Amino acid sequence: MTNKIHTYQAVFLLDNEEVRKGFNQAKDWVQTCLEKHNVDVKVLRLWGERALAYPIGSRQRATYLLGWVEASGESVNEAKREMYLVGPAFRIMFLRADEIPAEEMEFGIEAIEDSAVEVPDEIEEFEMIEENVAEEASESKTEENTDEQAGEKAADSSDESEAVAAGEENKEN
Amino acid sequence: MSSKKDRMFDFKNVEELQTFITPLGKIMPAKRTGLSGREQRRLKTAVKMARQLALLSYGVQ
Repeated sequence: MTNKIHTYQAVFLLDNEEVRKGFNQAKDWVQTCLEKHNVDVKVLRLWGERALAYPIGSRQRATYLLGWVEASGESVNEAKREMYLVGPAFRIMFLRADEIPAEEMEFGIEAIEDSAVEVPDEIEEFEMIEENVAEEASESKTEENTDEQAGEKAADSSDESEAVAAGEENKEN
Repeated sequence: MSSKKDRMFDFKNVEELQTFITPLGKIMPAKRTGLSGREQRRLKTAVKMARQLALLSYGVQ
């Protein structure tokens, strides 16, 4: 088996609970884990903290870490396997790339202060989820109300038709 | 032969990808996007990668 070195673009989704303890701690863990498996980390930078399009486990938000690495496929798989078992990253993606873009190379292994990473508190995050749930509930209620109104209207019209039919019967008698 | 340069899609560019997605979260067909076969396949790959990273949803729940 050949161990040819390739360039990969990597994205790591970090658990916000771990990032609250310290972003650099989480980032260093990812970097050391990669280097342990002979993955040459060229770029590793913060991409942002954002809401997930769908919940992953109990998580509604995550911190995205973007990286460019050079490694063999085997070492990438080994690193990935370890990161899925332990550590702050709960979703990882490696993507083969032709070369590292020049604008990305300027970032290098970005060193930023923990305070520069804005992660909402657990309570705020929970409130955001509650707000979403409340909005969804109000939307579904309005839908139910419109359904009920439609049902009532239908019932009224059926009553009217029954009354008309009864009146016609009386007339015949 | 068309002189147009082939369009590339980046899975990180969510705003661009969302223009090719229906309100139900499905990828629009090529006859609606107006992309070539190769571009449509690139779009499909980018959307699938964005979905995997929770940047785009798989559909309406």
